[in-house]
Amino acid sequence: MKKTAKNIIEISGLTKDYPLGNTTVNALRGIDLNVQEGAFTSIIGPSGSGKTTLLNIIGCIDTATRGSVKVAGHEITGLNDKQITDLRLHTIGFIFQTFNLIPVLDVLENIEFPLLLMKKHSGAEIRQRAEKLADLVGLGEHVKHRPAELSGGQRQRVAIARALVTSPSLVLADEPTANLDSVTGGQILEVMRQMNRLEKTTFIFSTHDANVLKYAIGVTKLKDGVITAN
Amino acid sequence: MQLIFKIAWRNILRHKGKSLIIGLILFLGSLLMTVGNGVISGMDHGLEQNVVNGFLGDVVIISEKQKTDNILLDFTGTLIEPITNYPQIKKLLQAERFVSRFLPAGKNMSLALSDDYNATPGFAYLLGVDFAEYQAMFPDSLKALEGRLFKPGERGILVPKKARDEFYNFTNRWLIPEGCSLVEANLSKDAKENLKTIIKADNIVLLGMNENNSSTDLRFGIKGVIAYRTLNTIFGHFSITDIESYRECLGYFSSSAHAIQVAKEDQKLLDLDTTNLDSLFGTESLMVSNPQAKPTPAPAAIAAAKAPADVDIEAGVYNMIFVKLKKGTSYNYAVSQLNKIFTANQAKVRAVTWKKASGFIGSMTTIIKGSLLAFVSLLFLVAIIIIVNTLTMAALERTPELGMMRAIGAQKQFVRLMFLSETAILSLVFGGAGFLLGAIIVNLIPMLNITSANDMVQLLYGGDIFHPLLKWTDIVVTLLELSLVTLIAAIYPIRVAGGIKPLDAIARD
Ligand SMILES: Nc1ncnc2c1ncn2[C@@H]1O[C@H](COP(=O)(O)OP(=O)(O)OP(=O)(O)O)[C@@H](O)[C@H]1O
Ligand SMILES: [Mg+2]
Repeated sequence: MKKTAKNIIEISGLTKDYPLGNTTVNALRGIDLNVQEGAFTSIIGPSGSGKTTLLNIIGCIDTATRGSVKVAGHEITGLNDKQITDLRLHTIGFIFQTFNLIPVLDVLENIEFPLLLMKKHSGAEIRQRAEKLADLVGLGEHVKHRPAELSGGQRQRVAIARALVTSPSLVLADEPTANLDSVTGGQILEVMRQMNRLEKTTFIFSTHDANVLKYAIGVTKLKDGVITAN
Repeated sequence: MQLIFKIAWRNILRHKGKSLIIGLILFLGSLLMTVGNGVISGMDHGLEQNVVNGFLGDVVIISEKQKTDNILLDFTGTLIEPITNYPQIKKLLQAERFVSRFLPAGKNMSLALSDDYNATPGFAYLLGVDFAEYQAMFPDSLKALEGRLFKPGERGILVPKKARDEFYNFTNRWLIPEGCSLVEANLSKDAKENLKTIIKADNIVLLGMNENNSSTDLRFGIKGVIAYRTLNTIFGHFSITDIESYRECLGYFSSSAHAIQVAKEDQKLLDLDTTNLDSLFGTESLMVSNPQAKPTPAPAAIAAAKAPADVDIEAGVYNMIFVKLKKGTSYNYAVSQLNKIFTANQAKVRAVTWKKASGFIGSMTTIIKGSLLAFVSLLFLVAIIIIVNTLTMAALERTPELGMMRAIGAQKQFVRLMFLSETAILSLVFGGAGFLLGAIIVNLIPMLNITSANDMVQLLYGGDIFHPLLKWTDIVVTLLELSLVTLIAAIYPIRVAGGIKPLDAIARD
């Protein structure tokens, strides 16, 4: 492990328990993990191993039961909802398995959405940035389409563009290709990799798919809530 | 904010059915409220105009002994107390700068007797006034349908059409002004059916109703059958007579006969002299005994047949004084000011507003307005329930979308505002449209110049012209109620939407 680059993620002793009836499910049982800036890394593991849980906690949309999680230098366990929301907006981009776009907005508007929330840029700047990203993910021709008028692959490209529009330091993707055929899935991974190179954005994605794995540069293996290989 | 509105607006368009249902309810509610309020305000205004300008004036002065303020239409038979110190009150009123003019009047009930033994006596409501003064006080308030109005100083009675119809039903006598012939077109439905057997009469014998039975039955020559310009349902009960005859009939003693109010004891003694002494007892004896011969007129009536001009009529008894205020004087100010003066001068009278004096008529609009508000509120309550339900469902349906918004950095407030905006836009657009349409309708109706001669419809119009009115207070109340509905309806869905967590973006089975 080289120690030259900074760590964007530093996790130590992370556990996550879900109460389930009278018992508790120990979804994560003591995770120690560092991810370097600019990484393009994959989390793999069998179903139920805790991939989603780990990504959610890193993405600040779920909370840890115990342990320390630092994202881009912020210890996230002590932040309130407003601060955490701000952190998500400014430093993290999400790509969901189910695409999750805003149905009433067109492609360009969906990509612009996080920038508008930031209220940091002028309308023209926002438009320019969104158009650039739409081009980069190969949707330059479809900016006026609504999500319902797009294919699954196209939707996921919109999601990638939206995740990157704020120039986050970190993009998280939980099984981004699970709802796509393998060819389209491959294309999506290509786009992500390209972005990783161009924008120096850190990507962490989870997958079941051995096909997808070949795109990853680093791999973290999870099993029953513990890391078995890194 | 622009973003929130954009998304909210497009969501409204996206869920057209839901939006339309909510919108329609809000539209109807606000339309109904605007038009309803307009009609009622018009009615209120019309009633005020017509009662104030046509019958009571702005303020009515009554005896302090009078138990209730309602002196216009009290069918319980409560008599109106006499006022015996008019000259004193006159001076006080003349000194008030806000008083424009005033008119003393006698007003009470009388029994209408008939020469038909089988008939029951009817009631006649009498208004005794100096007719010239009356016309100056209430110009153009009535016209003669048959016969004519009073000549100066003339004695007799002017019977409204409505009172004539009622009198016929009681006594089977059809009243026709002196020297006139029957006008078939003016016959009531009942009278028309009995046209062949109809008995005509050009005079009427009235027995004033008086607490100490000191009244006299007096024959009134009918000079005219009249119609008030408007609201005959209300005013049409009142026959107008000269104040002299009125006083005799009521046993108040005509000023021309005695010039002063006779002490109660003396009054009783004098009563014994009246020829129709027996008329004070029992129903049968109330009938004038000989149908052919004219009943003997009361001696006072003979004496007063030509009232000497130099007698001080104003020193006699009245029941009330109608007061008109100068423009811009508030009723409440005038009433409290007058009452202050009356108390300070021991005038033994009190002033009441036209609204209080007209009892049910005055409070009618308030009651109707209250019912409308209750009805619209009920409608809005239903609207709230439907809106809450629809929006909550919408929030739940959109959980992944809203969770995603939260996950990628939208604050709770953003999601809440989005939902509030959706409701606000709906009520603004649809409620606003309802209000606008209502306002247009309310403003258009007077231009159509819809009039009615129908008495009940006139009551609804507040006069002869249907003239709804959009008042600022009504507009404010409508808009407030609309905003309140929006807010209340949005609270729960907003809580639900605000409670959606970023984690909900990820659909887990
Ligand atoms: N909300 C929850 N309540 C209870 N248990 C949960 C909850 N979420 C996850 N779990 C449990 O935690 C464990 C880890 O789940 P997680 O979704 O992280 O696995 P995963 O590796 O993403 O699986 P998959 O590959 O099927 O998506 C599982 O045993 C799961 O049943
Ligand atoms: Mg998973």
